[in-house]
Amino acid sequence: MIQLSSAFFSVNHLSDALMSLTILSVLLSLGSNRLMALVKIMAFQGIVVSLTPLFLEHHESMNFASIILLQIMLVIKGMLIPGLMYAAVKKVKIQREVEPIIGYHASLFAGLIFILLGAFIAHRLSISLPIENDLLLVTAVTTLSAGLFLLMSRRKAITQVIGYLMMENGIYLMGTALAKETHTMYVVEFGVLLDLLVGVMIMGIILHNINASYDDVDTALLGQLKDN
Amino acid sequence: MLELTTIIPLIAGITTMFVSVRLGRRILVLTALLHLFMTALGWFGKISPAFPQYFSVTNEGMLILLVTSFVFLCISVYAVSYMSETEISSEPIYIGCTLLFLSTMTMVALADHLIVLWIGIEATTLMSAPLIFLHRSKTALEATWKYVMICSVGIALALLGCFFVVMSMDLSGIHVPITFSALGEVADKLDPVWLKAGFIFLVIGYGTKMGLAPMHTWLPDAHSEAPSPASALLSGALLNCAFLGVFRGHQLLYQAGLGDFSSNILIGFGLFSMLIAAIFIFYQTGYKRMLAYSSIENMGIIAFGIGIGGIATYGAMLHLIHHSLIKSSLFLSAGNILLGYGSKLVDKTGNMAKLFPKTFTTFFAGFAGISGFPPFGIFISELLIIMGAFQQGRNISVSIFIFALILIFAGASRLVTKMCFASCDNAEILVKENWARTLPSFALLAVSLILCVWLPDSIYQTIISAIATIGGSV
Repeated sequence: MIQLSSAFFSVNHLSDALMSLTILSVLLSLGSNRLMALVKIMAFQGIVVSLTPLFLEHHESMNFASIILLQIMLVIKGMLIPGLMYAAVKKVKIQREVEPIIGYHASLFAGLIFILLGAFIAHRLSISLPIENDLLLVTAVTTLSAGLFLLMSRRKAITQVIGYLMMENGIYLMGTALAKETHTMYVVEFGVLLDLLVGVMIMGIILHNINASYDDVDTALLGQLKDN
Repeated sequence: MLELTTIIPLIAGITTMFVSVRLGRRILVLTALLHLFMTALGWFGKISPAFPQYFSVTNEGMLILLVTSFVFLCISVYAVSYMSETEISSEPIYIGCTLLFLSTMTMVALADHLIVLWIGIEATTLMSAPLIFLHRSKTALEATWKYVMICSVGIALALLGCFFVVMSMDLSGIHVPITFSALGEVADKLDPVWLKAGFIFLVIGYGTKMGLAPMHTWLPDAHSEAPSPASALLSGALLNCAFLGVFRGHQLLYQAGLGDFSSNILIGFGLFSMLIAAIFIFYQTGYKRMLAYSSIENMGIIAFGIGIGGIATYGAMLHLIHHSLIKSSLFLSAGNILLGYGSKLVDKTGNMAKLFPKTFTTFFAGFAGISGFPPFGIFISELLIIMGAFQQGRNISVSIFIFALILIFAGASRLVTKMCFASCDNAEILVKENWARTLPSFALLAVSLILCVWLPDSIYQTIISAIATIGGSV
């Protein structure tokens, strides 16, 4: 019993648990139609994804700078960005995704297919790659493709932003899965995070303006510019 | 301390958001002058980067920086007059963001680190988005939303491409900094499969920003909805910076001995962009959209020329310079037309030759230039690309290339002749043209003309050294 519990708390198992939580959040977001719930799921996913490097075996030797970066990332991905989204959703009248381009059941099914796809890709790659954590790659591919899917299959501008964020999380996971710690330059990683934050701020401003001029954040309303 | 070219516009941009508009305009023009001066210093090797792990002076980077800096100066002189005419309430935002935009573009031109280049290109998207939204209309809102979403998603894929390139290095057990210069030296040892995968994502990502079809859908909307000085900047400066990302990727693959693979991808994207532009330009009703599709075409030409190799790469680099000069001049003229007639539709304009003689001269000359007529430089660059393609025996590709050029000329000339010579029903001129808003266009065209007959030796040498890295020669 003692052995079992110590095994349960070993680093690898914790990272597996985090990965499972990430996949769970992806599936939840695909099946959810309430905007506020989506924002909360995003905050949760941001925190889980930011914590991942702590529990990876090849990232064990963490120094002071990387801890600081981790904290900054937690603040940006887990608090600032969801906070901005929260503020945006608060102002919107219609709180639900009314008619998604692809329905919720179909979306969930697509999510399952993405997991299979991720497992397939990870299996193919793990032959050539020295990666000890297969699940990380599966999660990365799933999150990335589900983000893109969400971006394309929903009509509310807020959901699209959330899709973009999810995709960005997937890419980040992919980066942690593939790249070795030795390449990390903290200034550069901070720059990427800053870009993400400013990007979401600007998207928030546009969202606010869409809401102000149309009284809704449905991108189907944005269809005036055409080639005729 | 070449990084000052990035830092000075950054500080100036933040400052102008808090000062009065009159002072802001002065700061804008002064910063543009200072930037050109610093760039010239860097060009002649007087100053060099202080952080070599992130930034470096490369031939292609300096070329694009010089073009950007010059175009920016002309546009900012124009913008001062344009803004006082339109009286936009958020002018401090325009001045501030345009300076921040210059700062980020400079960062792209100087970047050597893979991720720093990515940060720079993403930052150009973010800093130019407020410029597109300046008129605050519903259509501007739509254009901005499309621009930010499509470009951000595209560029996010480019980040994935960067990770793949890093992966190709890890797999072969090499440890060098992830800068283009360091990777170039060990390129032949990198893992080819991951390098190819990385290149595909880089092209999709930066190609979105560059306006390569089928990722171009944001471009016509953004260019037509942005105020004309901003459109000129987007077309004349931003597209080049995105192209630099693609060029760097191609360079890396060429050095790794995979030049054929990346060349074919570039040729494919290039031709497809030209064909798409040719189809859509035919039924255009707005002149700014027409110019936007012409930008897509020209980016296609550049990608095609780079992909062909040999003498065509020289043509492509020349094309890049002349396209920036002529296209920004055209957009500035389009700004005058918009001010004068108050509409972006071709049908609402007409008889420009009589009503706006100065603007007519720049617009028509610019049109002749962009269609590839001598004495403007695009004539030479397109000729060189076609010659290069024949030399390489790419007969089918070059036939498509010429076919697309003819279609585009036919489509655009129909609109341009209508604007210039057809009679106009409502001959009411809202804003008269003046020298402040036509001289910058003349200056841009004149430089293109001069560079066509006399190319300074230092520019020539820079182009030659730049294309030598992808196997091009004259």
